[in-house]
Amino acid sequence: MHHFLLYIDPGSGSYLVQVIIAAILGALFYFKNIWWKIRAFFFRPKKEDPEGEDSVNG
Amino acid sequence: MVNYTRHPSSFKDPAGFVFESGGKVYRQVNQYYASQYQQLMSSGLYDALVKKGQLIPHQQLHQNLTQSPEWYSTLLPEPVEYISYPYEWCFEQLRDAALLTLNIVRTAIQHGMILKDATPFNIQFYKGKPVFIDTLSFDLYNPKQPWIAYRQFCQSFLFPLYLEHYLKTDIQKILSSYIDGVPVDFIARLLPLKSRLSLGVWLHVYLQQTAAGSQKQGKAAETRFSRKKLLDLVSHLTNIIQHFPAERIYNSTWSNYYEDSILSQEYLREKETIVRKFCAVTNAKSVLDLGANDGHFSKVFAAYNMQVVATDADSRCIARLYQEVKKNNITNILPLILDIANRSPAIGFNNRERAAFHERIQTNMVAALALIHHLVIGRNISLPALAEYFSQIAPELIIEFVPKEDEKVQQMLANRPDTFPDYTATTFEACFEQYFNIAGKQLISGTSRMLYHMKRKDAA
Repeated sequence: MHHFLLYIDPGSGSYLVQVIIAAILGALFYFKNIWWKIRAFFFRPKKEDPEGEDSVNG
Repeated sequence: MVNYTRHPSSFKDPAGFVFESGGKVYRQVNQYYASQYQQLMSSGLYDALVKKGQLIPHQQLHQNLTQSPEWYSTLLPEPVEYISYPYEWCFEQLRDAALLTLNIVRTAIQHGMILKDATPFNIQFYKGKPVFIDTLSFDLYNPKQPWIAYRQFCQSFLFPLYLEHYLKTDIQKILSSYIDGVPVDFIARLLPLKSRLSLGVWLHVYLQQTAAGSQKQGKAAETRFSRKKLLDLVSHLTNIIQHFPAERIYNSTWSNYYEDSILSQEYLREKETIVRKFCAVTNAKSVLDLGANDGHFSKVFAAYNMQVVATDADSRCIARLYQEVKKNNITNILPLILDIANRSPAIGFNNRERAAFHERIQTNMVAALALIHHLVIGRNISLPALAEYFSQIAPELIIEFVPKEDEKVQQMLANRPDTFPDYTATTFEACFEQYFNIAGKQLISGTSRMLYHMKRKDAA
């Protein structure tokens, strides 16, 4: 059912680079999350995490 | 069969094309795109985006106007009168267009769709805000697949923004040379060393440059991607772009022009009174303000309910005006960067894909206030040549003549020989009267500058 309209060239290596970037971002967000949990444990949370954090949990 | 002309830029996408017929611009949807179009409409994506003012609304017509065998449907989008291109936008405009694109990707994913391309040419500034105009850019979303338009997004949004951010200089001329966006190799060589300290630059520029050399593609990647990964990627791009400094200040030649001028306040008030007098008697519904600077007079024209295209060669002036338009929700001023002596040319395939400036932007009136001396003395364009130029673009003209004895002109002539014996009010009038009738003429008191209201002879 999915027939993709590949009318633009994704570019050689562009899928690969997205896989790598996503993996790095995933790891970063993972550690960032842990860091926020540690912080929350020791300090009373003043304010919610800045923007962009929603994507980490979603 | 109805007569129609296919738009010369509309040849890439098999999903459909844009055509003009009877003065209206339509978009044909081909059979090829039927299921995607149905998904766009039935998933609620179209409604969601139109409601937020992010996608141009259209009317669906069940008429095969082109009589083409591939026809599925015909759309009549809300007309966007003035088409502008990324090489006429300031940093802030390109940034807002980039954020709109990412925002749309996110909304699309929620509705089982994705953008299959990400080019600034799919966005127009309409009623003061960026809006997505390519209704056929949405494809069905397969979570296993990375974003097909990622590279295009980087080349045409992220890289130019990075360049301007790090180099602190205008990059519009570069954009008009690279119609498909700035190649990764090019930007990787231009960015300064300190940019390597940024994770975003490191990932999206240098890593991508390395990967672009690799021939490994596709299959393995497909199995390792997911919706969450794509959302992470989109969030990361959004974060980078949002965190570019909101107001980018570097001093430019013109951005403090009015503040620096000693005679400014009084002069501006006098000039405004005369311009308002001219505005009160014109029937013009639209005006092209050339050399608009910070848009002082663009706002005067806008107050007379004219559609204003405000242009200046200085990107900082345009940026300032754009911020103001945005902040105050001004819907009838479109700020654009334009160097009159070197306007945006026609570019792309057959030089017809993206039209030259004046082919896209036509107005009832043109305003050239405190401009002519820069063109004659600054750029060596003769008065007869200028009169001819204005006659081609302006049925009606409000123009200011700044004579040689004026302080500004004296400054311009201070370090160069005066090779302009013909630069006088008499020659100016004689040249322009070849094409125009002078409908009004008034001295700006306290100065030697003269304001003219002219009407082209054929315009009656």
